[in-house]
Amino acid sequence: QWKIDDKPVKIDKWDGSAVKNSLDDSAKKVLLEKYKYVENFRLIDGRLIICTISCLFAIVALIWDYLHPFPESKPVLAFCVVSYPLHMFIFLVAHRKDPAGMDPDDVWQLSSSLKRFDDKYTLKLTFISGKTKQQREAEFTKSIAKFFDNNGTLVMEAYEPEVSKLHDSLALERKTK
Amino acid sequence: AAGSFPPPAGRGPSRGPAMDLFGDLRRMNKRQLYYQVLNFAMIVSSALMIWKGLIVITGSESPIVVVLSGSMEPAFHRGDLLFLTNFHDDPIRAGEIVVFKVEGRDIPIVHRVIKIHEKENGNIKFLTKGDNNEVDDRGLYKEGQNWLEKKDVVGRARGFLPYVGMVTIIMNDYPKFKYALLAVMGAYVLLKRES
Repeated sequence: QWKIDDKPVKIDKWDGSAVKNSLDDSAKKVLLEKYKYVENFRLIDGRLIICTISCLFAIVALIWDYLHPFPESKPVLAFCVVSYPLHMFIFLVAHRKDPAGMDPDDVWQLSSSLKRFDDKYTLKLTFISGKTKQQREAEFTKSIAKFFDNNGTLVMEAYEPEVSKLHDSLALERKTK
Repeated sequence: AAGSFPPPAGRGPSRGPAMDLFGDLRRMNKRQLYYQVLNFAMIVSSALMIWKGLIVITGSESPIVVVLSGSMEPAFHRGDLLFLTNFHDDPIRAGEIVVFKVEGRDIPIVHRVIKIHEKENGNIKFLTKGDNNEVDDRGLYKEGQNWLEKKDVVGRARGFLPYVGMVTIIMNDYPKFKYALLAVMGAYVLLKRES
């Protein structure tokens, strides 16, 4: 039996976001540890960098305005204030370009949803073939009560098979096509 | 519910609610930790950029001020919020309400212009007085100064919201409350994991 970080994951079972986060993390771990896939950090790193640059604009504005008080700082301030919200537009462009899929590798995408105060967790696995660029997906919706015990501990023996089932159903389809 | 499983061995002492704050953090990898900090920085930066943006648009170094005294009653009361602009080409006329700073003092004052001397090239010297005061503001000006000039003006009142500024007054009168509030808000953003 394998466990996350060698310790069972225990959260507050009434905290919806903690439940969803732990289910999301565990599903990711199944893909990374059982099937040995490699996480693609490109999109995430891109967002981190863009946001960091935006913060730099804000810092520059702050320091410049402190050293050269308004109104001398007006042009620099104006530039920074306009540049700061650009990060939102860059995200839109990046998101639309991403599905173009320029790597030859196969891509697996996980997405999930858990409505507020609801107990139904939906996990969706999408497979995008590197060669044919075709997309296939599989999902399940189950009550979180099936995966957590009364103390709020995530029972991997119950959750991991569900995730593996999703993966195997897509992997099998690939072989038969 | 899930089936039975062996009781956890060596789990350690049970954690109270305070420790759960850091439970989320502990389960994060480097990227997620950086994202938490970045999230906090983005919120602060957004607030900062909105404020600086207002400064640029209005031309005033302090586009929103709180009325601190009752010297302008019944027009403005203590706790009212004022919105200012400071456009270079706006003429200052007697009867208008301006916010100005006396040289060497930090706190802006909101009073009415009652007298103006104007030269042909547009330079002005003006005198102010609070509506609710007995005397004009010469007692407030710098030693030997009898008139204010354009450079002393922070802006002119363009609009106001009653009572909203009381929050600022309370936070300045009770700084511990302000720091406590900021600390709680900051901790919440830093420690709570975003999906």
